[in-house]
Amino acid sequence: MKTKGIPKFVIYLLLIIFTSVPLFFSIPVPGQPVDASADAFKALMNLKEGDEVLLASDWTGSTRGESMANMKSILRILMRKRAKVAIWSTADPQAPRVAQDVMAEVAKEHVEVDKQPAYKRWDDWIIAGYYPNADVAINAVAKDIRNAFSTRKETNPEGKLKSIFESPVMKNIKTVSDFDLIIDVTASKTSDFHVQFLSAQKVPLLFAVTGVMVPETQVFYNSGQCVGFLGGLKGVFDLEQMMENGLNIKGADGKVLTGNSKVTDEIPGFKGMSNKGSGTKYYPTLHFALLLMIVLIIIGNVEMFKAKKGAQK
Amino acid sequence: MKPSDFSIWSLDPTKGTVFYHVIFAIVIGFAIFFALMNAPTQVRRPLTWFLTLLSGGVFVVAAYWPKPINFDAKTQKPLNAIESGSVFLADTNNVVGSFTQILAAFMLGLGIFSLLRIHLGKIAKKKTDWGFSIVLLVSMVSMITFGYWDYTTRQANKLVDYDVQSNWKLENMGRDFLFDKLLQQMDAAMFSIIAFFILSAAYRAFRARSVEATILLGTALIVILSLMGIVSAYWDGAVTSLAGDSANKDLILNFKITEISNWLRNTFQTPAITGIRFGIGLGTLSMAIRIWLGLEKGGK
Repeated sequence: MKTKGIPKFVIYLLLIIFTSVPLFFSIPVPGQPVDASADAFKALMNLKEGDEVLLASDWTGSTRGESMANMKSILRILMRKRAKVAIWSTADPQAPRVAQDVMAEVAKEHVEVDKQPAYKRWDDWIIAGYYPNADVAINAVAKDIRNAFSTRKETNPEGKLKSIFESPVMKNIKTVSDFDLIIDVTASKTSDFHVQFLSAQKVPLLFAVTGVMVPETQVFYNSGQCVGFLGGLKGVFDLEQMMENGLNIKGADGKVLTGNSKVTDEIPGFKGMSNKGSGTKYYPTLHFALLLMIVLIIIGNVEMFKAKKGAQK
Repeated sequence: MKPSDFSIWSLDPTKGTVFYHVIFAIVIGFAIFFALMNAPTQVRRPLTWFLTLLSGGVFVVAAYWPKPINFDAKTQKPLNAIESGSVFLADTNNVVGSFTQILAAFMLGLGIFSLLRIHLGKIAKKKTDWGFSIVLLVSMVSMITFGYWDYTTRQANKLVDYDVQSNWKLENMGRDFLFDKLLQQMDAAMFSIIAFFILSAAYRAFRARSVEATILLGTALIVILSLMGIVSAYWDGAVTSLAGDSANKDLILNFKITEISNWLRNTFQTPAITGIRFGIGLGTLSMAIRIWLGLEKGGK
């Protein structure tokens, strides 16, 4: 039953209005974290000072609305926890540069806005670079990380190029199991390869994926192959809310602002620090876009039933 | 004596003998390369198949061969032939893995060569839209130039923090403009166009034409609504207050939108995706075995 319906340009125009206008206003949106986000927050907050984290940054500008926001929030927590972070990429040659830019931005905010001690390259974080062929590279890291990263170098504080294994970040790493947490901020299949090759290494895996990847990542979460994951913009929003309000922490009025029924631990956040970012900013926009989608679906169906009725007459 | 002494893949680079091994490997490599180039097709095919079998075999054998457990405490030698095999395979696995990285790097060079050949030819012959070819080549050359210039500057002055904008030079500004301000923005703009197609497609295709389509539509709407914090907060709040302290409290609480959405995800979505992935896995495995054994396209 073919109907004429709303012209495409009207739909496009409506989408532009619905997604841009809310950006000019600060719209508070309620929302409780889903189980996967709460577990991800718990895993991040369980890190102690000096814990080593392998962070795969497998995203570029195309998914920055979700991936960059995820990456920034995760880095904020890692910096505040003073974790040692090794960043590497396998999905796209652009990824290390993008990760480095985000790291520079968050490190600057960490010092200038949050008034925290500097988070320094070499001492606190290193970049192990890009490896083509994600599956082979992740497999190599799983089997022998010292061999896989053997040629990678970073500059030490004296200005000399040294093996990354001489840095405080990697000096204790003999196998991939020595990491306290492995994180993959990804917009591609690298999360599959992480599960395939690293889930047997007894290291907790945590993913930050795009919205369209949520269903497939949910499978790994339900099976316990990853400790938690942040799914799309909702995941970023959840994390930012938990960073601001803590998880299951009661406010002055005795009410829990951000709570979860599965993860019942009381985990304080970082009240007063720069917690809210793109997730909180874009979440209302997502609401409007989804609302528009629902309305259009309803209109489409009403049109179809009307056309059907007309044809029957 | 270290375990590496028993494997040709991890020779001690400080020893002079490694130099002869490298020379020998290069000579053998070139000999194979030229032999393959000059060999007739009927010889080249089985040779290619044999190399595929050999390379794939390393990963297959490494997966099933017993893992090395320990070495003789005194001599640090593998305890037996199986242990020696394990050490050899572990080293081989890394080297063969590196081969694929090197091949991928070659593909980058091949891609640049191919782009230059096609677009320079197009410009020389002034074919249709040759102007776009100029734009492409200029973009590629400027990105490579500024990217590499920026990299060498950063490498040469290690004590300067080039992540701080006040330290930037022309090359850093050029790299930032081309990569962050142009490429990344265009990348994001291209990807965001999908939103327009999704919305248009949802309006035109998401219709309750049949029972199956209606079920799909209903479940999709529930999941979409559960993603909206405003909706889930008020819906769940209403259900909770409705449940109150009634005898059917537990039953009523199941009608929270987040509960319904979780139920849909965990009961239908996850098993369905697991099933699909299992099928894909079997398909990939059978295809891999076919390629490995040279059964695809008559590789023998």
